[in-house]
Amino acid sequence: MSSRITDELKAWIGREVTYAAPEELGRAAIRYFALASGDDNPLYHDEAIARQSRHGGIIAPPTLLCETNQFYARPPDGSGYIGHHWELPLQSDRFIRGGNEYEFHQPVRPDDRITVTWRIVDIYERDTRQGGPLVFVVSEARYTNQRGELLAVNRETNIH
Amino acid sequence: MVTPSSRCFEDVAVGEPLPTLDIEITMTSLVMYAGATWDFHRYHYDAAFVSEHGLRSPFMDGQMVGALLARQLMQWGGPDAFVRRLGYRLRAMVYAGERILLSGEVAGTTIESGRPLALCTLNVVKADGTDVVREAAAAVELARR
Repeated sequence: MSSRITDELKAWIGREVTYAAPEELGRAAIRYFALASGDDNPLYHDEAIARQSRHGGIIAPPTLLCETNQFYARPPDGSGYIGHHWELPLQSDRFIRGGNEYEFHQPVRPDDRITVTWRIVDIYERDTRQGGPLVFVVSEARYTNQRGELLAVNRETNIH
Repeated sequence: MVTPSSRCFEDVAVGEPLPTLDIEITMTSLVMYAGATWDFHRYHYDAAFVSEHGLRSPFMDGQMVGALLARQLMQWGGPDAFVRRLGYRLRAMVYAGERILLSGEVAGTTIESGRPLALCTLNVVKADGTDVVREAAAAVELARR
């Protein structure tokens, strides 16, 4: 069986794109995410309690940063999606989330202004009995704040 | 200063269970989470659209599992905790109307770059026992006494 990984596709390994948020993350975005996760942890909404913790004030739930499309100034595509994705030269009507590995370097604050850089770290193929050859795309996103401090790294695998 | 309700590294035992979370993923939860993450993909609310794509109903964004696991870990560790690492591989889609059960336990403890960490293994299963994730694990930094 011929490989679905062409030289053109392989050349996408190492490609990067950077998005910079136009404003601070904001307390409302933090409270909205916590509410939507059913998470009543006071660290995310109660300044008085959060101030007494080692964090010294309200922080965002860990994965908010890696999840929100708040930073991406893209118009919705035909599926309604506005977030980051790669326009890969790959014929596929399939898109499956394979998994995520998050590293959290420091808590994210409401006044953080986020910059995220996405990079393709690997593209490989695996044969499967049922679906034929599947293409795995591994991307890494690095999130920094307005002081250039690393907040989080999100490595995700998507399957086409 | 250690906040009174924080779990301390010295008190954690290997094998200690994490709190379990039993969550019904409703259409309302899908819409709330999609809104909160600026994720307007029709997969999460448009039944006709997902049906055209051969799927039975709107489904949960895979990364919502990450948000729920982080909720479980931060609830356990208390206000001084901080999740340092979290990872999982997704095995099954979760559709509107399904229940999922989150559980986990402390598999080990370590000090890494001076940070006291609880190493946790995590599970997410549907009510019928189907695994939603595989190889789910986290490292949670805890307060010291």
